[in-house]
Amino acid sequence: MKTFKKILLFVSLITLIIWSFWATLSVNKSSEKNLEKINSDYNLDSNDLVANFVNNTAKANGNYVGKIIEVTGYVKQISFLNNRKTVILYTKNQNYGVICDVSNNQLDKLKTLKKHQKITVKGTCKGFLMDVILLNCYIDLKTNE
Amino acid sequence: MNKIAFLLLLFTIFNPSKENNKQQYIARQGQVTFFSYTSVENIEAKNNQVLSIIDLEKKEIAVSMLMRAFVFKKDLMYEHFNESYIESDLYPQANFKGKLVDFDVNLAKQTSTIKGTLTIHGIAKEVAIKTMIENKNNNYKLTGEFIAAVKDFNIKIPAILSSNIAKTINLKFRFQYQPYEN
Repeated sequence: MKTFKKILLFVSLITLIIWSFWATLSVNKSSEKNLEKINSDYNLDSNDLVANFVNNTAKANGNYVGKIIEVTGYVKQISFLNNRKTVILYTKNQNYGVICDVSNNQLDKLKTLKKHQKITVKGTCKGFLMDVILLNCYIDLKTNE
Repeated sequence: MNKIAFLLLLFTIFNPSKENNKQQYIARQGQVTFFSYTSVENIEAKNNQVLSIIDLEKKEIAVSMLMRAFVFKKDLMYEHFNESYIESDLYPQANFKGKLVDFDVNLAKQTSTIKGTLTIHGIAKEVAIKTMIENKNNNYKLTGEFIAAVKDFNIKIPAILSSNIAKTINLKFRFQYQPYEN
């Protein structure tokens, strides 16, 4: 019986340590994400993505917000405003675009980009104002033309 | 304000016809930062994709931002902010529309007051905000800061977390505008 109590105490202690470790990790989990190896929920081009938001914002919000999206389009602008690294993609309607806030580890790729270059960007969709906004973006250069 | 209402605002107040848009400027990557300081915890979040349009002829300004585009240092802060406090599923945007009071288009640098309606968490409140306006080569920059009380926008903080969240939040903004060509 004594042995059983010792085992129970030992298991409880280990469980408490693991739980404390997990809780600390959860509370301090960084918001910076690396999406390179995470599968996307949707894969579409910049024109279709923006058209979906313009045509039915509520439906597009439901489909895309909070999801990881791969968007293919042409580079309209590269910006370092506010100390951020941002790529803006063209769409057919010049009033709209796709703003991609790029992860810090993508700086080398960002430096190689040129205006009108075709790229695929994977990021977390936050919604639509006059542009679709993607954060934590990973740049895929495989589609370069 | 939902998406349709915001677009109506943009395309009615800021009439995008060629004749009328000479004095219109747009910032698609405006920055809004908020700070909550308490003895327990300091919380800071930044939104770098804030949309704003100003019409200098009419002296009008509109701002819209997605609440889910605020970036926090920790994931848990983001979750609490969007799910418990701001309820981003119900109120995905914060908006402001107002007038630039005592603004002189001929000055390169000036301090002006913006008076208007700030809507957060579905609650609209009249505010007056001091802002620095700079014009360099026809590119305008607006910067400033103000304080907002959490209770004014019906944001409920659970008692267990009330010591972690300040009762008043400091908000800083920085918009760099370019001529609005459409």
